[in-house]
Amino acid sequence: MDQTALLFLVLVAMVVVFTVINPIFFSSAVFANILQDWGPIVLMATAQTLVIVSGGIDLSVGAALGLSGVVSALAMRELTASGQSAWSAMLLGVLVAGAVGLAVGLVNGVLINRVKLVPFIATLCTMGAALGLSLVLTGGTPVAGGPAGSIQFSSKTYLGMFTVPIIVVTVIVVAAGLYLHKTRFGRWTYAIGSNQFAARGAGINVESHLYKIYALSGLLSGLAGMFVYLRLGSGSASSGVGQELSAIAAAVIGGTSLLGGVGRLAGTVIGAFIITGVLSGLIIIGVQANWQRVVIAALIAVAVGAQGLSNESLRAK
Amino acid sequence: MTTAPIYEARNISKNYGSVVALQDVSLHVGAGEVLGLVGDNGAGKSTLVKVLSGVHAPEAGQLLLEGVVRQWDSPHDALELGVETLYQDAGLAPHLSVSANVFLGREVVKPGLLGKLGFLAQKDMDTRAHEGLERVGIAVPASKRSVTQLSGGQRQAVAIGRAVSWARKVLILDEPTNHLGARQAAEVLVAIRAAKAKGLGVILISHTLPHVLEVTDRIVVMRLGKVVADAPTSEFSADSLVKTITGVLDARSGG
Repeated sequence: MDQTALLFLVLVAMVVVFTVINPIFFSSAVFANILQDWGPIVLMATAQTLVIVSGGIDLSVGAALGLSGVVSALAMRELTASGQSAWSAMLLGVLVAGAVGLAVGLVNGVLINRVKLVPFIATLCTMGAALGLSLVLTGGTPVAGGPAGSIQFSSKTYLGMFTVPIIVVTVIVVAAGLYLHKTRFGRWTYAIGSNQFAARGAGINVESHLYKIYALSGLLSGLAGMFVYLRLGSGSASSGVGQELSAIAAAVIGGTSLLGGVGRLAGTVIGAFIITGVLSGLIIIGVQANWQRVVIAALIAVAVGAQGLSNESLRAK
Repeated sequence: MTTAPIYEARNISKNYGSVVALQDVSLHVGAGEVLGLVGDNGAGKSTLVKVLSGVHAPEAGQLLLEGVVRQWDSPHDALELGVETLYQDAGLAPHLSVSANVFLGREVVKPGLLGKLGFLAQKDMDTRAHEGLERVGIAVPASKRSVTQLSGGQRQAVAIGRAVSWARKVLILDEPTNHLGARQAAEVLVAIRAAKAKGLGVILISHTLPHVLEVTDRIVVMRLGKVVADAPTSEFSADSLVKTITGVLDARSGG
């Protein structure tokens, strides 16, 4: 069967199981909440899919989310204090969050292309640096005092569960999917992940392509930071801690191979729903919230294990 | 042969740190000529290929394409001007389809606005990849199949077909018949003759001396980073070629 269809069935089965255990799960309030959790995760998982398909990994997505949330919160607080309108403050927030994320991504690109670090180490460094920087900037306390009404704006639902930020995220993810699967940019991303030497031999400028990929990954993480800010009404250094785990999990559950060259964004989107759905479901059926990371780690192990098994059965044919 | 060279290397030297890989190497190939480049492991053939194809810049010496001095900053520069290289065992991206590999780096985009955004004309490329491979005499697997699903011989056939169909002036083949069965190797030789008939200058690097003797017009022998012989293929026998490569028979002057 088609892998995406299979994943969708897993998602449906998950909804059924949680609903049977506690019928409250099947409600637009719970779905709206899952969607709000899904927004930042799917942005980072989309970034992660691009990077992993190219044969790399980006551990800095969560820290980039935190840093851009904090910096844009500080910028919005300044602008609000100077008497500007909520709309112009939010617009500035989006721009600053995107720019900070982009900067983190460019640093990754420099570390990988110029300093010649492997992506794992390069992004581990920026992950630590970005988290540290957000703690330095805030002293560890959340930054509030931004535009009034941002929470009301971002939590107003249409059709019972869709908010404006969720609609924006959906548009971004669809555009990223078209970009990855239908354009030359996407084709080169797969080629580099599949065989970097062949890509070079075909005249592709691998370095410049990797800059674009990591920059895009940072940008998407920065926008995820703005999403979280709008949801909570404050920016916090800790808001991205551990989120890289969820982003990698969503991509891997969706069928993206950590070896590079393989993956579909539709799978990642469903993978992100499975992750966020499981976390909400566990809380609703009464599992303590502290188990969350254990569950995500187990999901990664199961997904990667299943990929290995299906590869072996392919080879055995 | 007295045709003017289409591609020429003059006095090329290249070091890796303190190791001298190429020392004052000169060679040339004419349009419609097949040049064999042979030598033992470590003779410098692969390094020379990388200089000719723009992967490495030489420390000294010149490259002349159609008599014009060229400097390659990247393989892309060489490709742009019609110098196509098939690298040893590294030709294809296995997760991509046959047509995606044939068009890798030269993707055709849709007309109009979508094309400006980089959207691919996939159907067009599938059809043209199939036609292009067929034209150079390669038994073609379906364009849409992933390279992972092809046998080693089929992969090599696609890689060679790709190189032959794109090359406009010079075609460099590094060990194209490695790991191939007799029938597939014969197909490769057919493709080389097709390239010659197309008027390309072909440089064939190979350890399989019978293939070299069969398909080339002239042979350059390298040993320890230097050219030790450069003579028409007709002047070599299998025996004398081996002796020249190993150094038992020294410095032929070419007849």
